[in-house]
Amino acid sequence: MTTFFVVATAAKLVLFLVGIITCGALMVWVERRMSAMIQDRIGPVRANAGPFRLWGLVHIAADGLKMMIKEDFIPRRADKLLHALAPMLAIFPVLVTFAVVPFGPTIDFGHLGSVNHLGPLFEGRWATTLQVAQVDVGLLFVLAIAGTGVVGAVIAGAASDNRYSLLGSLRAASQLVSYEVTLGLSLVGCVLVFGTLRLEDMVLWQHHHTWGVVVQPLGFVLFLAAAIAESKRTPFDLPEGESEIVAGYFVEYSGMKFAAFYLGELMEIGVLACFLAVFFFGGWDVPFLRADGIHLSLPMLGAKFWAMPHWSVVLLQLGAFGLKVCGLIFLQMAIRWTLPRMRYDQLMELGWKAILPLSLANVAVTAVVLHALR
Amino acid sequence: MPYVVKRPERDIWEQSYIPETVRGMGVTLRHFFRNVIGRRDTVTILYPEVQRPYPPRFRGLHRLTQRDDGSPRCTACMCCQTACPAECIHIVAGSYPDGHPLAFVEKYPAEFWIDELRCVFCGLCVEACPCDAIRMDTGLHARPVEARPHLMYERNLLLSITDAKGDVLTANPRKK
Amino acid sequence: MPKLTIDGREIEVEAGVTLIEAARRMGIKTPHFCWHPELSVAANCRMCLVEIEKNPKLQPACQIPAAEGMVVHTENPRVREARRAIMEYLLLNHPVDCPICDQSGECKLQDYYMLYDLKSSRLASEEDKVRKRKHVPFGPHVVYDAERCVMCTRCVRFCAEYVKDPMLCEVHRGDHSEIDVSPDRTLEHGYSLMTAHICPVGALTSRDFRFQCRVWFLKAAETICPGCATGCSACLDHNRGRAFRLRPRVNNAVNRCWLCDDGVLSYRFHNDHRLCSPSLGRGNPQPASWEDALSEAAAALGKTPKAERAAVLSAERTCEENWALIVFAREALGIERFFLAARPDGTADQRLRSADKNPNRAGVRLMLGAEPEPMTALLEAATAGRIRAVIALGAEASAAGVEPSTGLLRLGTVVSIAERTGTLPDAAHVRLPCGSWAQSAGTFVNAKGMAQEFGRAMPLGDGLLDVHEILARLARRLDLSFPYKTAAEVRTAVAGRLPEAGAAGGAP
Ligand code: SF4
Ligand code: SF4
Ligand code: SF4
Ligand code: FES
Repeated sequence: MTTFFVVATAAKLVLFLVGIITCGALMVWVERRMSAMIQDRIGPVRANAGPFRLWGLVHIAADGLKMMIKEDFIPRRADKLLHALAPMLAIFPVLVTFAVVPFGPTIDFGHLGSVNHLGPLFEGRWATTLQVAQVDVGLLFVLAIAGTGVVGAVIAGAASDNRYSLLGSLRAASQLVSYEVTLGLSLVGCVLVFGTLRLEDMVLWQHHHTWGVVVQPLGFVLFLAAAIAESKRTPFDLPEGESEIVAGYFVEYSGMKFAAFYLGELMEIGVLACFLAVFFFGGWDVPFLRADGIHLSLPMLGAKFWAMPHWSVVLLQLGAFGLKVCGLIFLQMAIRWTLPRMRYDQLMELGWKAILPLSLANVAVTAVVLHALR
Repeated sequence: MPYVVKRPERDIWEQSYIPETVRGMGVTLRHFFRNVIGRRDTVTILYPEVQRPYPPRFRGLHRLTQRDDGSPRCTACMCCQTACPAECIHIVAGSYPDGHPLAFVEKYPAEFWIDELRCVFCGLCVEACPCDAIRMDTGLHARPVEARPHLMYERNLLLSITDAKGDVLTANPRKK
Repeated sequence: MPKLTIDGREIEVEAGVTLIEAARRMGIKTPHFCWHPELSVAANCRMCLVEIEKNPKLQPACQIPAAEGMVVHTENPRVREARRAIMEYLLLNHPVDCPICDQSGECKLQDYYMLYDLKSSRLASEEDKVRKRKHVPFGPHVVYDAERCVMCTRCVRFCAEYVKDPMLCEVHRGDHSEIDVSPDRTLEHGYSLMTAHICPVGALTSRDFRFQCRVWFLKAAETICPGCATGCSACLDHNRGRAFRLRPRVNNAVNRCWLCDDGVLSYRFHNDHRLCSPSLGRGNPQPASWEDALSEAAAALGKTPKAERAAVLSAERTCEENWALIVFAREALGIERFFLAARPDGTADQRLRSADKNPNRAGVRLMLGAEPEPMTALLEAATAGRIRAVIALGAEASAAGVEPSTGLLRLGTVVSIAERTGTLPDAAHVRLPCGSWAQSAGTFVNAKGMAQEFGRAMPLGDGLLDVHEILARLARRLDLSFPYKTAAEVRTAVAGRLPEAGAAGGAP
């Protein structure tokens, strides 16, 4: 393990953590303003720093400040330890799963200016892959960690000594367990096609062939549905169900602990967008852009090639990844402000009777087709 | 006889949620983009910078009108107190001492309280007043206050509130 | 006995009964201003005009005696038109200042206007109205407003006929006529508030009640006037725990339909100087909880030897309350000496007022079965040290020629059960507040020996207890027996000792 490796990993970690949390905070603003726009309102724009209102961005700071100085209320008969632990448990899996997201190709700081002929992923003295941890069982790791997300919600509900919380956490538990299965199964198709569990290799496959959404369209839809259910957002936000159980499992949270739940949920959207991009939209892949430059092969014009320096290719690919993630976040938010909350039986029916069989069928069909093509 | 509830028929496309969701998102996004670009559908009025003109019959906070000499028109007849369904008016009558220039009116409100927090702004007090002494033509809202007593409006305050045009007299002058 | 038909129904009345009275017996209310059942007939307001068949002109029902075979119509179009015309005349110069008029709500002009007139004035301008005196003080209790007067002369006749002091008279003529007090007199004869009471409009109003409360907010309850030993029947008007006035209630055996001024004002016994919570300590009373006050009272009474205890009964309080105290004192405390606390005597007259200003002196005597000893005897015994502890009912205790408080201060223990401050509570160590007479139910026996029962006129206020309840709690603290748990039990025990109930009030 070279010093460079340690420094690079640490730098990626810090970059990522700061990035995610800033993103989470920004998403508060996006969510509010976007919902306002969708509903023909303006949204919160009053907070200001002197003359600057910044389209309501100052609200993020104001909210943060408020959350910090707000009373941290703990119900009298709540389990103090678990009550404090729950928000951490809720936010932990979100942060951890980010670690395996390949947000860019390998970058070699030694040859930034030259044209890279080694391909997107390679090893070198000053090279590092833009991913915090390359894990062999990347996908399984993601699923495993995502599965622990329910623990935070359940503990929060159980420790709060509030029957609404308890109901909320029960709902969360059953919903998450139900959709967990589909979440995994809907990805099996991708795994079969890509032939790997390593996320960076999945991207690589899409880089060389075509995007996941093209080969696994059904898988995309199923994964999207299951993943939204996993992140407990509308139309699957029954654990919160403010109209019937007030705010569900985090009724009894205030101040920073509440903020943790809230941020956790928003960051989950970010993670989800990352994974959607990685599995179905080619990750950092930009069409026609290879590691050494642009390869255009148009039927009429024939093959064309423009060489590009290493740094610009990486930058373009990083930008593409960011753009895809933003687009997917936007998609999820639009879904949230479009669909009404489902009824509980509808939720369960959709999970067990529609999505699960469909994902099984998807796996079977994919397997058969792959076998036939071989 | 049992009654059969007709359930709406849904075809397989609707059942699959996908096209419908896409359609719904079409609506959502149309609003979103129309509002982002030029706020075309936005209905929000940025109160208080922008205010809608109130209709002339808008019932705002109360005021007590004054006679030309500045004395309250109110004679403490308690008609408003009687009419008020929210029971938020409290009046204590006083009588002008002998020899007072207004002694012929005899009676005046020594205390006049309106609990604007309890008031339901029905305007029945205005209807009930035989002296045109209480009016709700101030065009004012009950504004937020820091303590409940601040919206317990008292006689002199009520007397000092003007109508929308800044007049403390009655808008409907009649002979005494 | 003449038999006649009124509005299609037959009735037989004694000779000499007027049509208005005959109609009233049938439940027909004939509108009237000047007629009053207790006063002579003036027949000047013409509001009571009725049609008598075979009689070309309408006739005043208040004046025409019933005659055999008369056929009377009290409510046909001709009569209604006449009444409308009368109302128009009466209101011609009326200032219509109902908002500031204290009669409004119980004014006959308002009522009859709504029933018979409902037209706006045909007078071209307000300025054409005849202006008269307003706000004229007639006496200490009554103010006069000439513009509102309908010249029915009820007040004049009341002074002349009932009080036999004709100090009011009509002056001027026509539009300008009004009522005035005789030169150098003021309307002050002990019954002046009755003129305001019988004035059908807002011309005479009570200075005491004026502007205090609109009459439609008042709730009325039947009671007995607590002002003196006559025991007049009355209605108490009250609102939100505050009493406002007493009005006479018809009781032909006692007060017919009058009250004296002091009686009307005796509602103040309910309002003024009330004790609102138990308190402890002589001279500088400190509010205490019922628990503490009762324990303190029980301890103080319990530690005094039986022979040195005494009880003070009250001529202000009902038979039931006195009886409860007598039983408690005799059976629980072993007391043998009973004294009587009472208000001092005042003036009397030939009409209603008794010199004894206590409503129930005769009742106390009946309850004890003997004459209670006067307060002077208690003061002597206290000075001599023969009595050390006293449980006392009622607030006021006068003793002729002695300053009672100094004597009372020699007593080691005074436990006072009273509704307001006064000689006894002021000298007490423990004050236990009970309801005022208006807040209690019970019986007063008046000077003539008539027992008159009355109900609770107003609810017992917060922090107050009924006397029997206080005594029962005291007995429980002393571990002694007290036979009564409810007011009804006391009432049953008392009933046997009372004379036949006095003629109760009839329809007002
Ligand atoms: S507006 Fe209605 S509720 Fe308000 S004070 Fe007047 S009568 Fe009462
Ligand atoms: S405001 Fe009008 S209705 Fe109310 S007491 Fe005064 S005069 Fe009467
Ligand atoms: S003052 Fe009253 S009672 Fe006397 S004459 Fe006038 S209206 Fe009648
Ligand atoms: S009541 Fe008969 S004339 Fe006045």
